[in-house]
Amino acid sequence: METVLSTQGLTKIFGRLTAVNNLNLEVKRGQVFGMLGPNGSGKTTTLGMLMGVVNASQGSFSWFGQPPTNIVRKKIGAVLEHPIFYPYLSGQKNLELMAMIKEAPVENIPKVLELVELSTRKDDKYKTYSLGMKQRLAIASALLNDPIVLILDEPTNGLDPMGIAEIREIIKRIAADGKTIILASHLLDEVQKVCTHFAVLKRGNLMHIGPVDDVGKGEELVEVAAYHDDLGIVLQEFAGSGVIKREDSHFQVMMKDGFHGQDLNRFLFDRGIVASHLITKKKTLEKQFLEILAEGHPTAK
Amino acid sequence: MYFFTLVVGAASGMEFLKWLARLIDDFGQSINIDRIPLYHFPDIWQNLAWSCGLLKMGLAIMVVISITNEYTYRTIRQNIIDGMSREEFLLSKVYTNLLLAAASMLSVFLIAVVTGLIYSPEIDFPYALTGIGFFPAYFLEVFAFLSFSLMIGIFIQRSGLTIIVLLFSYLIELIIKENIDNYVPGIIPFFPLESIMNLVPLPFARYAFQEIRDYVTIGSVAIALVWTFLFNFLAYRKLKKSDI
Repeated sequence: METVLSTQGLTKIFGRLTAVNNLNLEVKRGQVFGMLGPNGSGKTTTLGMLMGVVNASQGSFSWFGQPPTNIVRKKIGAVLEHPIFYPYLSGQKNLELMAMIKEAPVENIPKVLELVELSTRKDDKYKTYSLGMKQRLAIASALLNDPIVLILDEPTNGLDPMGIAEIREIIKRIAADGKTIILASHLLDEVQKVCTHFAVLKRGNLMHIGPVDDVGKGEELVEVAAYHDDLGIVLQEFAGSGVIKREDSHFQVMMKDGFHGQDLNRFLFDRGIVASHLITKKKTLEKQFLEILAEGHPTAK
Repeated sequence: MYFFTLVVGAASGMEFLKWLARLIDDFGQSINIDRIPLYHFPDIWQNLAWSCGLLKMGLAIMVVISITNEYTYRTIRQNIIDGMSREEFLLSKVYTNLLLAAASMLSVFLIAVVTGLIYSPEIDFPYALTGIGFFPAYFLEVFAFLSFSLMIGIFIQRSGLTIIVLLFSYLIELIIKENIDNYVPGIIPFFPLESIMNLVPLPFARYAFQEIRDYVTIGSVAIALVWTFLFNFLAYRKLKKSDI
């Protein structure tokens, strides 16, 4: 798989603050790459450097193996932080201006507007748009040139649940088309649902980089409930039980390696207990994310 | 709007002065304004070029608003993300300045021709055309000043502050000029704004029978050109170096 983005020792220093420290990462074609990290970890600064608006203090990067000029940026659709458009111009006019800069055909405009469902409001001034519409226009603009890579920085910022779901669907559709997407987000369960790989930044350092699939491997958590008074004691007798926690309506059993929900199910059934609630939960990205952040030092080179 | 004001202002200037003269008439003094060759060829070239030079402030404010809006609304950031280079961005603003300066020069030139034809008692070619060199000088004057405004806008990035600084820069230069005048008067023509003003010197004193410079000097043009280049170059450097 070809490398779409690679950075070598990318660093940005603002006076005494090192916002991004010696960042090395690679994104390959077709990946949906999540950039995670607490506020202030350097995500937007990194994206700013990659998109030519922030000058790197040290290090280098390349898109598609080519030197980073403004021309390669035309093949990338990016929305950083907030949507930015000319407020006194209409959505349509803003997209036309952008098409001119990106050297994209004007015929693409109706298509992208259709995709984000803004066709009816295209002739209204941008300042009259609601936040959701502004976000949607931003996504439309990022798709304008049918880019090879899409960069979305907090695309669901400030949206209501329906808006978040809509954006998730749009992203999934785009990912299914084979586009490479770099997604910076705080919504970890969204990232877990959509992304193939992820990186964690903390105070400018890369703490972790790897596939999302690896997160679920290993530990399994089984939630179980049954109409039985001593369920807790019974569970402790199960060979595969690790830590057992009691929640309000059920027990959470951390399974030992090699044991799965169905083993616990059979075990209980053999004892004459029928579980009323049995769910296997894979380790969440949120959990691993918090674990990674709790570690003191960067683990990735 | 600006051009409308410019055109109307220049054309009606003559009528306004006539009306003024009539006013003064009422006080017992009588000045026959028609005899002062304000709108006559060839004086009109310099007179009009100088007077309309005062209006370049209006254009400058437009330029300042145009560039500071890009910072305020952050559209400059998105444009660069989209694939515009910083050079292209600056060039678009510089071309606009050139266009504004050219359009200014052409409109004032047309007004000059028309009103000159109306008010000149006699037209004596080619004498009537002496001093026409003030119009290219006027173009340079406007473009230099707009370049200055663009540069200040790029450094300060906020519209109100930039306009204040623009107005103050005249004041500051005036203060420095007055202080230096006793010591090194020779370097005064090298100051940025002074050099711009020197392109078309104040013509009206000749009507009070004073000698004035009524031709464009190469020296003033050269200095103004250097400053213009410097303004645009500094703007480019600032744009390149800063994080947007």
